[in-house]
Amino acid sequence: MSLIKQLWLTIVVVLLLAFVGSLAVSVSTSRHYIEQEVRIKNSDNANALALSMSQLEKDPVTLELLIAAQFDTGHYRRIELRDAEGDTIEQREAGEHIEDVPGWFVDLIRFEVPAGEAVIQDGWRQFGTLTLESQHSYAYRSLWQNTLNLAGWFAVAGLISLLLAVWIVRTVRRPLDHVVSQAEAIGERRFVTSPEPRTLELRQVVQAMNRLSSAVSTMLGQESEKLDQLRRRLEHDPVTNALQREPFLARLEGHLHSDGDDASGVLALVRVADMAQLNQQLGHPTTDALLAALVNELEQLNTLNGDGRVARLNGSDFALVLPRAHDLEALGDELKQRLRDLASRHPEAALTLPSALVEYAPGMTRQTLLASLDGALASAEDRDEHGQVIVESAEQDALFTSHAEWRSALEAALLDGVQLAHYPVLNRQGELLHHEVPSRLHLAGEWRPAGRFLPWVSRLEMAPALDLAVVSAALEDTAASGQAVGINLSPRSLRDGHFVSELIARLRARPELAPRLWFEVPELIAMHNPEGFRSLCRELHSLGCRMGLEHVTTRFGEIDSVHDLGLAYLKVDGSLSHEIEGNPDRQSLLRGINTLAHSLGILTIAEGVRRQEQAELLFQLGMDGVTGPGVRQEG
Amino acid sequence: MSAMPAQPPPLIGRRRFLAGLGGLLLAAGLGISAPRLHAGIDRARLRDSMRRLYGSRGLSTLEEWFDLLDRLDGADLNVQLRDVNDFFNRRVRWLDDIDIWGQEDYWATPLETMGKREGDCEDYSIAKYVTLKELGVPGDRLRMIYVKARLGRGNLTQAHMVLGYYETPSADPRILDNLVKSIRPGSQRTDLDPVFSFNSTGLWTGSSTQSQADPVARLSRWRNAISRMQEHGFV
Repeated sequence: MSLIKQLWLTIVVVLLLAFVGSLAVSVSTSRHYIEQEVRIKNSDNANALALSMSQLEKDPVTLELLIAAQFDTGHYRRIELRDAEGDTIEQREAGEHIEDVPGWFVDLIRFEVPAGEAVIQDGWRQFGTLTLESQHSYAYRSLWQNTLNLAGWFAVAGLISLLLAVWIVRTVRRPLDHVVSQAEAIGERRFVTSPEPRTLELRQVVQAMNRLSSAVSTMLGQESEKLDQLRRRLEHDPVTNALQREPFLARLEGHLHSDGDDASGVLALVRVADMAQLNQQLGHPTTDALLAALVNELEQLNTLNGDGRVARLNGSDFALVLPRAHDLEALGDELKQRLRDLASRHPEAALTLPSALVEYAPGMTRQTLLASLDGALASAEDRDEHGQVIVESAEQDALFTSHAEWRSALEAALLDGVQLAHYPVLNRQGELLHHEVPSRLHLAGEWRPAGRFLPWVSRLEMAPALDLAVVSAALEDTAASGQAVGINLSPRSLRDGHFVSELIARLRARPELAPRLWFEVPELIAMHNPEGFRSLCRELHSLGCRMGLEHVTTRFGEIDSVHDLGLAYLKVDGSLSHEIEGNPDRQSLLRGINTLAHSLGILTIAEGVRRQEQAELLFQLGMDGVTGPGVRQEG
Repeated sequence: MSAMPAQPPPLIGRRRFLAGLGGLLLAAGLGISAPRLHAGIDRARLRDSMRRLYGSRGLSTLEEWFDLLDRLDGADLNVQLRDVNDFFNRRVRWLDDIDIWGQEDYWATPLETMGKREGDCEDYSIAKYVTLKELGVPGDRLRMIYVKARLGRGNLTQAHMVLGYYETPSADPRILDNLVKSIRPGSQRTDLDPVFSFNSTGLWTGSSTQSQADPVARLSRWRNAISRMQEHGFV
């Protein structure tokens, strides 16, 4: 039985006890009192009348008159005079007057009052015995009235007590509910913090849970900070803090194979000409400072235009990849401007900073891209001191040529509906966790992979519409197959209130499917829009869906209060698991991520796994699942 | 209520007392213990009450009373009436309530009357009434009667109380009085005018505890006396 019910029961029982108890005491006291009063009256009146009669002539008329006078002017039920032999001389009797008192009440009370008796003296002899009973039916009535009044008062008192009780129960209940929901949240590894209630005991519980939450939060912050430092040490150039060649190439590879909207974008290369001479002329420290300033410029360009990466490919070559960026001309101009500014700030160095840009798209290879950029850079070096070449990559089978054509084609395709590709995410035992379901749209007579149209979907801001179409398709898919699906949500959708409400409505319509839906958002997006992500998490969580992050590196600890989001899984970016064999540092980084995630009850899944041996090693490092080109479901 | 007698009732003779006491001791010595006559009185409790209230002097009167009860048990009614009447008339000295108890009108229990060996007219009547009832005389034949007493030859009258024994309700009662020591029928007592009579019918009902718990019992003088009797050990 719940605490609240017990409280109610106690209140009602106490009220009833008080009512019945005081009613019983009151009625029995009154009854006893009335009995005594009537008894005294009987006895006194009998003696008084007998005394009068003793003094008078005993002729029948006088006796009758005396009795009649007493009976008629007083309140009597019976006055009876018997002679010494017990024969009745005179008798007066009246009925009971119990009009509006219920019979059961009279039976319950039923006064027991003996009649008053007195002997009438006639000289020395006894003349007769006088028996007298007073009318006491009025007492039933007053007692009944008394009972009714008491019941009325108790009804009022009971009502007031119940109202009070309602208020008390409610004031107890509200903080109690908060405590329970916080405890449940913590049970689900959502380490939320609650406002402290005023009730002392509950406050202590909430304080303890809040301490736990904040301890978890602190631990998470510290651990992810450590992991981030470790990753930086592994992947970044110590001099310029830019990404090193290997991880950069792995990331680029990831973009080129991506099924998302990062599958196309801009790749830029900047060269510091005559590095050796620069070193000689300025000395290592100054040169290093210059390189760091260059990387800083590139990082600023990156931050302003998207969420790409800056890398140092070798001593003098620096690269920038900007997924989802398409305006080569504008980017080129901005880059050129920044390089020129940098050079003019350091005239003593006489910097020569040629650059080259190219747009990458699905189907291209890393090697050809880098080779064409290299060639372009060589020709740029020949032009002038900050020469720039924009490589016009022959756009491979461009589906449409203008924005308008793309828009109408995409709208038509969305009306036709999306198809879903299926890439399995498997656990240690080779069982399916869920299918990743990148979308396919029917464009220009063929089903096209997401990488072909997603950049245009983003550019035309049609992502919410596409996401909704994917959700509908995924619902049908999981309804048909009974298997879980993972759905990517685009950053644009996260900001779209209409999208979120529409999504919730569609999920509400099929509540039984919700537990088989895994929703994921890129780590960077969750970092940039924590409010949107948090509210989406809360909504989807309440429906029973799982929420996760994809392309996770080591920065998920920086997401605002990630500990109370109730994340179910993390998909760790492929660049972290890339070529881990024989790289103990990277292995320990992954192990750290796994330990941290598991301490919060979060599953970890490795992305971009290419080989079976790699998958096995990842499982050894504590990964709960793998996905990628090398992952196939048996059977 | 008070009654002024012509002469004070005599004290019990010392010889008679010693004889009584000797008889008691003899009986005790011979191992003759008095059989309990009625369940009505609690002798042990009466002795306790007496010892506590009046000491050994009161106790000896009480023992004489017990002897009287034992002796008269089953005796002829006339003997019972006579001896009971004599017992109290001889042992109890007449005195006004105000002198005995310090209050105007006090109804003493038989134990108090025997303990003090002093009493007012109603104290005689009550003691005789209780004793006769104890001897098995039916209660409804005994009535205490308020009378107007003419004293001497003059027209001086006094309120007085006597005990009447009624063979039947309408019979001429025999009067046990402390003014005239011998028992005579009411019709011969021309010095007395009866006014009203009562007894314990309808009052002495129920168990003792109930009676004591009844707060009303203390309010009526008669019922008050009855409830004190119950406390002392008369039932």
